[in-house]
Amino acid sequence: MRLSRFLPTSGKVRAGLIIAVFFVLLAVFGPLLTSYSPQASGTDLLQPPSGTHWLGTTQTGQDVFAQFVYGARISLGVGLVAGILSQIVSVLVGVIGGYFRGLSDDLLYILTAVFLVVPGMPLLIVLTGYLPSRGMVSVAFVIAITSWAGSARVLRAQTMSLRRREFVEAARATGESRTRIVFSEIMPNALPLIASGFLFSVIGAVLAEAGLSFLGLGSLTTTSWGSMLYFAQSAQAFLYGAWWWFVPPGLAIAVLGAGLALINFGIDEYSNPRLRTGRSRARAVRSRGPHAAALSTAGASAAASGAETPGVATILHDDAPDETVGSVPAGAAPAPPQIRELDVPGKPIIEVRHLKVDYPGADQVVHAVDDVSITLHRGELLGLAGESGSGKSTLTNAITRLLRNPAQVTGGSITYHRSARGRPSGPTTGGSEAEVEAIDLLGLSTEELRAYRWDELAIVFQSAMNALNAVTSVGAQFDDVLRVHRPTMPAREREALARTMLEKVGIDPGRVSAYPHELSGGMKQRVAIAIALVLEPDVIVMDEPTTALDLLIQREVLDQVMALRDEYGFAIIFTTHDLSLLLEVSDSIAVMQRGRLVEYGPALEVYAEPRHPYTRALLASLADMGALV
Amino acid sequence: MKYLLRKVMLYVFIAWAALTMNFLIPRLMPGDPVALLVERLQGRIDPAAMEAIAESYGLTDAPLLQQYRDYLASLAAGDLGLSIGFFPVPVSEIVMGALPWTIGLVGITTVISFLVGTGLGVVLAWRRGSWTDHLLPALTFLNAVPYFWMALILVLVLSVNLGWFPVSQAYEPGLTPGWDWEFISSVLYHAFLPAVTIILASFAGWVLSMRNMTVTVLGEDYVTMAEAKGLPKRMVLVNYAARNAILPSVTGFALSLGAVVGGSMLTEVIFNYPGVGYTLFEAVQNQDFPLMQGLFLIISLAVIVANLVADVIYVFLDPRTRQEG
Repeated sequence: MRLSRFLPTSGKVRAGLIIAVFFVLLAVFGPLLTSYSPQASGTDLLQPPSGTHWLGTTQTGQDVFAQFVYGARISLGVGLVAGILSQIVSVLVGVIGGYFRGLSDDLLYILTAVFLVVPGMPLLIVLTGYLPSRGMVSVAFVIAITSWAGSARVLRAQTMSLRRREFVEAARATGESRTRIVFSEIMPNALPLIASGFLFSVIGAVLAEAGLSFLGLGSLTTTSWGSMLYFAQSAQAFLYGAWWWFVPPGLAIAVLGAGLALINFGIDEYSNPRLRTGRSRARAVRSRGPHAAALSTAGASAAASGAETPGVATILHDDAPDETVGSVPAGAAPAPPQIRELDVPGKPIIEVRHLKVDYPGADQVVHAVDDVSITLHRGELLGLAGESGSGKSTLTNAITRLLRNPAQVTGGSITYHRSARGRPSGPTTGGSEAEVEAIDLLGLSTEELRAYRWDELAIVFQSAMNALNAVTSVGAQFDDVLRVHRPTMPAREREALARTMLEKVGIDPGRVSAYPHELSGGMKQRVAIAIALVLEPDVIVMDEPTTALDLLIQREVLDQVMALRDEYGFAIIFTTHDLSLLLEVSDSIAVMQRGRLVEYGPALEVYAEPRHPYTRALLASLADMGALV
Repeated sequence: MKYLLRKVMLYVFIAWAALTMNFLIPRLMPGDPVALLVERLQGRIDPAAMEAIAESYGLTDAPLLQQYRDYLASLAAGDLGLSIGFFPVPVSEIVMGALPWTIGLVGITTVISFLVGTGLGVVLAWRRGSWTDHLLPALTFLNAVPYFWMALILVLVLSVNLGWFPVSQAYEPGLTPGWDWEFISSVLYHAFLPAVTIILASFAGWVLSMRNMTVTVLGEDYVTMAEAKGLPKRMVLVNYAARNAILPSVTGFALSLGAVVGGSMLTEVIFNYPGVGYTLFEAVQNQDFPLMQGLFLIISLAVIVANLVADVIYVFLDPRTRQEG
């Protein structure tokens, strides 16, 4: 988290930092700007702002500006001290509890729960009510006691998840001491949370001090923003309309709080990129996208070299330094794409022509899909192979119209050939093959697109664990599709249909009332397939549908899909990085690399006689691993 | 129901911890504040009150454990001691008189604020990237405004300058409390400004957390699948995105409720609203320690019960917690 890289990414963070720095400077140097003492009474009573008294005077003639700047010292000082103390307790309790587990964690967890639930302000009031003398340090101390729990809870959760990560496991395996692991492995990774917890503690402490002083429970001989409000309130300043007395301190608290919260926004966005807005979002794509691609390539090459395939390892490794998907390194002319005639019996159903999808970055455009043309025929299984970052997911997302911002289709077309059969409510006059309607998928209106979805093209996602809604039952997830797409179907029929579909994928129909967490991984994926089939679509896009499953289950699910395809006759676009799997099931195969189609043709021919060097390298690696016979 | 049972046990423990804290605070604070207080009050109040105070602070010479047992026994009997400020009114009577006002005010405003805030949060998440993103800094500012300052500004503008709302009290002085329209309308009229204060000062927090959660959830596969299913936007947003995004808000209720309760107490002080916050303020001013502690106890217990309610709702919202075993 280098500051120089972090600073310019977000206007919010910059605004927040400016505010925070402004108030710190005000607290440090502000008192030099005024010749008045904050407590000294004067003869000008309750005067509005003027040249002599910049923020007017109080009922006893004290200078409000002097009080304001001296008060900043106290309010900020208490905030900082309490924030630091509270955060130290949070880190100790959270990290120790989360890392060491066992009895100490249980005790600390309960302690945290107590301080989390018992309301802070009343406890604070009672504690300060008993304090024999109320100095600012003891007030800060009491505030810290009542405010550490929230942050400790967050840190505990983070530590528990960190201690299971590989790098921590690795450090433990090499015999590093526990203290060392906590300080050198856990803490740096929890740093964004600690920083954000600290900022929240400071806001909380400034507010708490203001509240206490406002109640007359702070140190009334010291001027803070809170005590200014206390005296303004007890002198009924608002009845006299003396806004200059109580507006500045409250406004300062709110602006300071907002400033710190804005910095926190930046920290949140740093650790959770989905939250980014506007410009920082566009930059994130530039910096994250290729990074992710490079990572996955590195992972693939590590796996390949583990299997002792020097040839592939080199080829894949050559990709790694080239960070931009789709761009061609200067000097190395790419091999031309190898496209072969397809010989598939069905009529075309989806035709992709010269499709281009771009991700606009801050300084350069990434071509995620670059001039790709493929044709899916009725009943065909088209295998789409390629590594992560090859553009295959972008291609299928373009076909399913699920491209997310900032991805943009910048050229080409996708045509869907709708048959009369595809329209359930439409009049089936003859139902001959001639009645095919060509639909421009990219030009569909929102409502047309909504009606087209699932009815004619359904999707099976990679991980059913994430694709099923965890908080509603399996039945409800069939039911909403049917309610929307078959509005005339009665409830009883809808449920019967859901049961039938479950039976088709080999699941006890009684499980219709089960929740996803009650099903095994394989069953969840079958449920996802059953939901995809419920409207009998013509096309199903399967995005690595078996990758998340173990081998045995993978085989069963695959057999099920093939059997269902024989029964229903839908076409499939099947994406995977597992070429051996594709060779077995596909009618045709398309291989993608860096956004381009490098080889496309009937599965058998691609297998028997690969023409593109990339395909050859992939097949060779499979042969070496013994995956092909 | 194992989940709920564990939660109930935790809350019972927390309640016990609050009771014990309440017992220990006056005995463990530095400088023996009770003795100091007794000294200070000498001659200023009724000797009978003096004795009551001494007794309630265990200035009997009984061992600590014995004092603790007596304390728990008198709590079980609903005896919170006698107030010093309003001697010899029992603390429990004052607390019970103040509690309905606060539960009515804070309870209703918290529910409104939660509903408005989470609803708006979902809308802002759905429209992220559009002009609505510019509302975020404003909401952040609103979230940082101290409750009592918000109250002062509202009083200045709406009561003092425009004269639309009363400055203080819970109902028109002179009215007899009862279930007649005159009284109820007066209560609603007087509660309006405090309620607006609490809602304005607290709803932005719900908006921000719900927006962030929903934005995170919108990237999940199940939301993409719902969209791919061709469901109407509203259905995707409500049944899939918001339905999942609200879970952490419900769990985080404890954290936020503490802040709302604290802020509402200060709001009550400004409006002289006769709830527990104002009463606590008065108790502190009068150094009425038994009343202070009684109020702390009852506020803690009320918050614990509210948390338990939130957890029961959570069980209904998340089927994973209903798993047996």
